[in-house]
Amino acid sequence: MNTSSFAVDSSRGKTVDAAKTFVLPDKCFQKHVGCAWGRGNKFTIYPRSQTVNKTPTDTADNKLLNIKQDILLFTPILRKLVNESNGTYLSLQKAAEAAKVSDNQVEFLKLSRQFRSIIRVCLENLQEAAAKAEGIEKNNLLSYITIFYSIECIWHLCEILYIDNIPGDIVLPYLLEWVRFHFPCHEQTAAQLLGACERGSEDHEDYWDTVVGMVVQGRVDVARALLKLHSAGESNEFKLVDNSLRSMPVYSVYGGISTGEFTISWKHWQAECRSKLSSRVLASQPKLELIMKIIMGDYSAFESIRSKYSSWFDILGGWVMFTAPWSRRHELGAAAAACAGMQATGRSHLDDMVRALLEGDLHQVIHEIQQISDNGWFATHLTDILFHCGKLTIMDKHQTNVTSRLRDSLILEYGCLLMEHKSLWSVGLSYLASCPPEGLRRAELILERMPVDTEAKAMKIIAEAKKYELIGVAQSVCRCMCARHLSAGRAGGALCWAMRGRSSAASSRAAHAALAHYTQHAVLPAQDLLLTAGSAMLLSDTLLFLGKYCDFHRLYKTREFKKAAQLLVSLITSKIAPEYFWETLLLDTLPLLESDEPVFTSNDTYEIMLCLELRSSSLDGEKADLLRLALARNLARTALAEGDGTEEGAQ
Amino acid sequence: MPLEVQGTFVSQKISKIRWIAEDYVETKCFFTGSWDDDQNSIKVWTLESPHEEEEVEYPRQLSEYLVDGDVTQIKFTEKNKIAVSLSNGDVRVLEVSLYDKQFPLKEVFHWKKLHNYGAEQCSCTSLDTLEGDIATIGEDGNVNILSGRRGEVMHTIKGADSCSLHSICFIKHTEVITGNVRGHMKIWDVRSTNNKPSAAFLLAGDELAATCIIHHPTQPHIILAGSESGALAVWDLRMNSFPTSLVNAHSAGVSEMQFHPENPHKLLTCSVSGELWEWNMEAMTKSSKGPDGQVMWMPLQDKKSMMVNSLIPALHKSINSLHCDKGRILCGADNEAIYLIKNFKY
Repeated sequence: MNTSSFAVDSSRGKTVDAAKTFVLPDKCFQKHVGCAWGRGNKFTIYPRSQTVNKTPTDTADNKLLNIKQDILLFTPILRKLVNESNGTYLSLQKAAEAAKVSDNQVEFLKLSRQFRSIIRVCLENLQEAAAKAEGIEKNNLLSYITIFYSIECIWHLCEILYIDNIPGDIVLPYLLEWVRFHFPCHEQTAAQLLGACERGSEDHEDYWDTVVGMVVQGRVDVARALLKLHSAGESNEFKLVDNSLRSMPVYSVYGGISTGEFTISWKHWQAECRSKLSSRVLASQPKLELIMKIIMGDYSAFESIRSKYSSWFDILGGWVMFTAPWSRRHELGAAAAACAGMQATGRSHLDDMVRALLEGDLHQVIHEIQQISDNGWFATHLTDILFHCGKLTIMDKHQTNVTSRLRDSLILEYGCLLMEHKSLWSVGLSYLASCPPEGLRRAELILERMPVDTEAKAMKIIAEAKKYELIGVAQSVCRCMCARHLSAGRAGGALCWAMRGRSSAASSRAAHAALAHYTQHAVLPAQDLLLTAGSAMLLSDTLLFLGKYCDFHRLYKTREFKKAAQLLVSLITSKIAPEYFWETLLLDTLPLLESDEPVFTSNDTYEIMLCLELRSSSLDGEKADLLRLALARNLARTALAEGDGTEEGAQ
Repeated sequence: MPLEVQGTFVSQKISKIRWIAEDYVETKCFFTGSWDDDQNSIKVWTLESPHEEEEVEYPRQLSEYLVDGDVTQIKFTEKNKIAVSLSNGDVRVLEVSLYDKQFPLKEVFHWKKLHNYGAEQCSCTSLDTLEGDIATIGEDGNVNILSGRRGEVMHTIKGADSCSLHSICFIKHTEVITGNVRGHMKIWDVRSTNNKPSAAFLLAGDELAATCIIHHPTQPHIILAGSESGALAVWDLRMNSFPTSLVNAHSAGVSEMQFHPENPHKLLTCSVSGELWEWNMEAMTKSSKGPDGQVMWMPLQDKKSMMVNSLIPALHKSINSLHCDKGRILCGADNEAIYLIKNFKY
C-alpha cells in the first residue's frame, strides 16, 4: 500500500473556512475515485470502476492511497514536549481541584512557568537539531522554531497580564522584562562596549543605536554608562542628559507615595526636561536631543526610531515607561495602538495576537492562536490555564458564558488527535478524561477500536480504562481477546479472557468450544485452568458444566471411582449438558458400570436409563444397546445388594 | 546528600532499562528497550555532562538497534551480552562492544519466531537468564530453554500452560518457576520430559496475572512475585505452596522488582500506577530463627511494618522498568521518559 503525505497548498490565505486543495502525485486516478474514512484523521482513496464487467487495463488504477494529516506534534523532538507538558497539565488539573477550596494563584504561576520552561527546552532541542540538519528538514525545523518562539513570547505576556500576581497591578517592570527577554536588541554591543570600557566608543558604528536602544528598553543605567564612554562625555550637554536620566522618578508600589504624588513629581521632571530641550542647549548634539525627546515620551521621536526595529514590541516597553509608567494591566491597549500605529507595515500574525492580548480581548487571542500550526497544543494549554485562573470569560452572541465549553472543546480536540498515535494514546486519554462526561465517552469509542497486538497491550489498555472507570472498555477488550483465541481454537486463552471480562456469553461460547474440542479429539483442553478457577466458573451454566466435567476426569484419573460416579450422575441429572455432549456423557458411564466394584446405585442406574431412553437419538443403535446391557447388568448386581437393605429398612 | 531525581524525555515509551556493568569504574552506560511505538528499538546511552564544570549528567544516545515488535524483556547472559525477547516471538542475543560503546550492537544469536501460534504471530513475553542459559516464555504457553553460549534450543516444554505465560524466573539451573495471566504459578524441572510441573499454586484468588517473579539473592528458596493487582506475594518453597504472605502494595500492577545487588534487605518495586518504592525487608528476616536454626520468613501483616518508602512522587503514567546499581536507580516509564535517581542510600 502506498502511503503518501502532501504539503499544504502554499497559497495559504487568511480565510479559515476555505477548503484546502491537494494535488495527487502522478495523476494516479483518471476518473471514478472512491473514498473511505479510517481511524482518526485518515482516509483512503481508491479507484472505483463504474463499469462492472470491464477488466482493468490501466494498471495505474490499481492503487490505494492512504492519506493522513501530517501532524507536527508526532515528530520525535516535539513528542518530548507533548509528554512533558502532559505531566504539567495533569498537575494543573490537580491544583485546580485544590483551588476550589483555597486560593492557589501561586501554584498556577509556578505551573505556567513550568510550561514556559518546557517550551524553552523544546526550542533548544529544535535549535540543536536545526544546526545539524540540512535541506528541507532544516527548513522544517526552522519553521517550527519560529512557531515556538511566538508561542513562548505570547505565553510570557499572558502570564504577566493574567496569571502572575503583580503588586498593585503596575505592569511596567514586567513588561520591560518581557521586551528585554524576547526582543534582545543591541544587548551584545552594549556589553561589548562596556566590557572594553574605552573612551571614544562613539567610533563603533552601532554606538548611538545601542544607547538609544538601551533607553528604549528602560535600561537607563546602562545608557548612562555608555554615554560616559563618549569622548565628549564630560561636556555640558552630556552632563545635562545624564542628569535628566538620573533624576527620572521611578514609580514603585512600595515607594510609599501615591500615584497622584508621583504624577506631580513626574510632570515636574518632564517640564524640566522640556525646558532643557527648548533652551536649545543640545542643538549641537542631535542624538542627545533625540534621547531627551524619547524620555519625554515624544511621539514623533519614537516614530523616528521605529524603523530601526523589526517590530513595534521593541519600543512598547519604552513607550509605556516614558508616557505612563503607572499603567495597570488593563490599560495597555492605548499604548499598543500607539506603538503599532507608528509604522504602517504589513501586520504579522504575532502582531495581531499581542495587540489582542494588550487590549484584553482574550477571545480574539484564543481565536488567533488557534491559527498557529502547532496542532492545537498552545491553544489547548493556554486556554486551560487561563480558565483555571478564572481570567477567561467568553460570551457567545446570546451573552451566555461559553468559557468552559470552549476549554472542553479544545481539550477534546487535542486529546482525540493524540489518541490517533500508536504510542501517545495514553497521553491523549488523560486529556479526554479531564473533561467528563463527553471526554470519557469519546475515549470509550476510541479505545474500543484500538488495535491490540499483544496481551501486554491489552492489559495496559484495561489498566488505563480501570483508572478512569471505563469498565465497559475493559470488558470489551477482554471479549475481543477471547474471540480472537476462540477463532484460533485456543480454548485456554479464550476461557481465561472470558472469565477476566466476567462475560457470561463469552465464557459460555468458550466453554462450548472446549467441550466440542473434547468430543472431537478426546483431549480436554485447559485442564490446569479449569481445576484452579474459582468463583468465575459460575459465570455461565456451560462453563460450570465444563468445570465439573473436568473435575470428573480428575477423579477418574486418580481412581476415585465412587466420587467420579456421583459427579457424573449429578451432571447427567442436572440436565445442563449441551445437546451434542450427551453421547460422551452417557458413554462415560460405561467403564464405571463395568468396574469390578459397583459404583452406581440402583437409583443412579435408573436415572441413567431414563436419560438414555429420553435421548436415544443422541446415540446410535449399537452403542445404545451396549449401554443398555451394561445398565441392566449393573442394575442386577446393585438391586440384589441393595434389595436386602431397602427391604429391611422398609420393615 | 539528598535524593536527586532527574528526568529525560526520550520520545519512546520505555519497557526495559538496564545498567551496563563496568569493572573498577562507576557505571555510565545503559540499555533501553522501547515498546508501543511505530518503530521500536534497543538503545545504548551514556551519561555525560555537556559542560565540563557542571555536575549534572544527561543521557546521550550512543547507538540504536531497530527491532520488530515491542521489546518485552532484556537480561544479561554475560557481562556484555544481553538476551532480548520481542513481542513478535523472536529472541535475540546482542553484544555491546566492551571498548567502544558507540559501536553498533552486534547480533550473536537470533531465534526467529521461537514462540508462535503456527503461522500466526505470538508474543515472547519474558525471559530469564542464569549463567548463560536463557529460559523464554510466550503467550503460546510454551517454555524454551536456550543455550546462550551455543545458540541452540536445549529443551522445550510444550503447552506448559493453557493460557499465556507472563513471568519466569530461574530457581536453580534445573528449575524454573513461571506465572501466567491468571496468577497460576508452576515450578518446572527442565530435565524431566513428561511436561508436568513439579508444583503448582495460585498467586492470589483474584485470578490476575503474575507480572514479575524474582528470588531472594541470598536465600534462593524465597520467591517473590508481583501481581497485576499491585499485590506482592512471598513464598518459602521449603514450606508449602501457600504464599507465606501476600501484601496489597501498589494501587496498580507491579511492573518490576529488584533486590539491591549489594544489600539483600533492600527491595525496589515499580508499578503501573507510576510509583517507585523502596522496601526494607530486614524486618522480615531478623524476627525469628526456626527450630532448625534456619532463618524463618515471618508473615507480613501490612506494609506499614515493612518500612516502605516512596522514592519519587508518583508519575502520571506507568513506570515499566527499574534497574539499580549502587546508589543510582534508573527507571523507564510510559510518559516516554527515563529517570535517574542518585544518592540512594542502601
